[in-house]
Amino acid sequence: MNTNSNVYTVIYTAIVVVIVAAILAFVASKLGPAQDANAKAETLRQMMSAAGVKPTDELYAAKNAEILQLYADNIEEAYTIDLDGEKNGELSVSKDKIELVSKLKPQHKAILAEGDATLPVYIFKGGKAVIPIYGAGLWGPVWGYIAFEPDGHTIAGAFFDHESETPGLGAKIKDEPWFREKFAGKTVEWSETPAFRLEKNAEAAGAPNAIDAITGATMTSKGLNEALNVWFKAYEKHFAAGASEETTINAEEE
Amino acid sequence: MDKKLKETILNPILKGNPITVLVLGICSALAVTVQLKGALVMALSVIAVTGLSSLVCSLIRNTIPNRVRIIVQLVVVAMMVILVDQILKAGEGTYAIDKQLSVYIGLIITNCIVMGRIEAFALGNKPIPSLLDGLANGLGYGLILVVVAFFRELLGSGTLFGFQVLPAGYIPNNLVILPPFALILLGCIIWVHRAIDKDLQEK
Repeated sequence: MNTNSNVYTVIYTAIVVVIVAAILAFVASKLGPAQDANAKAETLRQMMSAAGVKPTDELYAAKNAEILQLYADNIEEAYTIDLDGEKNGELSVSKDKIELVSKLKPQHKAILAEGDATLPVYIFKGGKAVIPIYGAGLWGPVWGYIAFEPDGHTIAGAFFDHESETPGLGAKIKDEPWFREKFAGKTVEWSETPAFRLEKNAEAAGAPNAIDAITGATMTSKGLNEALNVWFKAYEKHFAAGASEETTINAEEE
Repeated sequence: MDKKLKETILNPILKGNPITVLVLGICSALAVTVQLKGALVMALSVIAVTGLSSLVCSLIRNTIPNRVRIIVQLVVVAMMVILVDQILKAGEGTYAIDKQLSVYIGLIITNCIVMGRIEAFALGNKPIPSLLDGLANGLGYGLILVVVAFFRELLGSGTLFGFQVLPAGYIPNNLVILPPFALILLGCIIWVHRAIDKDLQEK
């Protein structure tokens, strides 16, 4: 057969492409559930690390099944809010059907466009509230989870992750525990703009809502600062309302 | 035949090493060698891709229309790379490493070793030698990757496979973690390789 004729070439390439596409589609559909389970467990690890359910090392050493169980045992409720701080949905927290808002990019776009956002709030037992943040680092997205104490403005813990920040520099936001540990005990001042500052020499002034940026990781720090403030702004009405409610109750009691 | 087969397997690891002699696949060698674990997974992925791509391309070598042979090779390699990536993402133990290697798994497709071996060997040889040639080239690449990663993790983080090896007082050298040092280290490896193997030196 003449393998160089036009007809043969066209038919041959068409067949090859169809076969390859079929193989890939089959594999993707077979492995999809396992991949989703891994991604979900990863998100739960990061959230529980922020909320301080267990030390980060132990969370990463635990199997997926244990992580699901741990989350189910420690979560109180989860719901979503819109940009006005109003509840607009519930997220199931039962072990067999854990629901998360795992795609943060569309929510980030919704926040920037001031559109319809469904921003998750995960309330852990004891009253800690965990929220996600998301933004652009230097090479790719950076994201993280921030846990608030029940008072709604003191940070209880944080966890950050990234797709492709520079190892040894920007990657420190994930790799170096001292960075995320610095967030615990800091506050988010909802009434201020910006509500939180991750900037060069920010700690020197002694403000409760400021953390020093990472040396050598200027762009990653900037991106993370932006991510924090964009998302804090989106949650401002939710948390600020909660905080003022508390103060009025306290005032009445007094 | 036996001697030829042995040559097929040993040449890419020593005299014809894709990284130190042919200087192919450098970019990924610089990018994924910060930690041993990542380098090892990357090495295994490349071995799987080069081996299987060479095998498949050799099996269909007599049917491929000559004018579109590069495209057909590319489709085969791309399929293998996607399969490896999907499998890594699905494994509970490998998910974290796949995340860490991020785009570099996908970029195996652009690794010149894969296409280079198909073009140079698999299209003109029977399936079994082609498979071995692919595997051996992947192995030659992987070996260098692991050696580079060994030094970079040891000096850059004071650890090996994540375990603290150097005393706690050791201050990690940040230069070692950055890509330029991988290039310096690679240069040193090529130097040592050429010093040992006199055949590689220009007269």
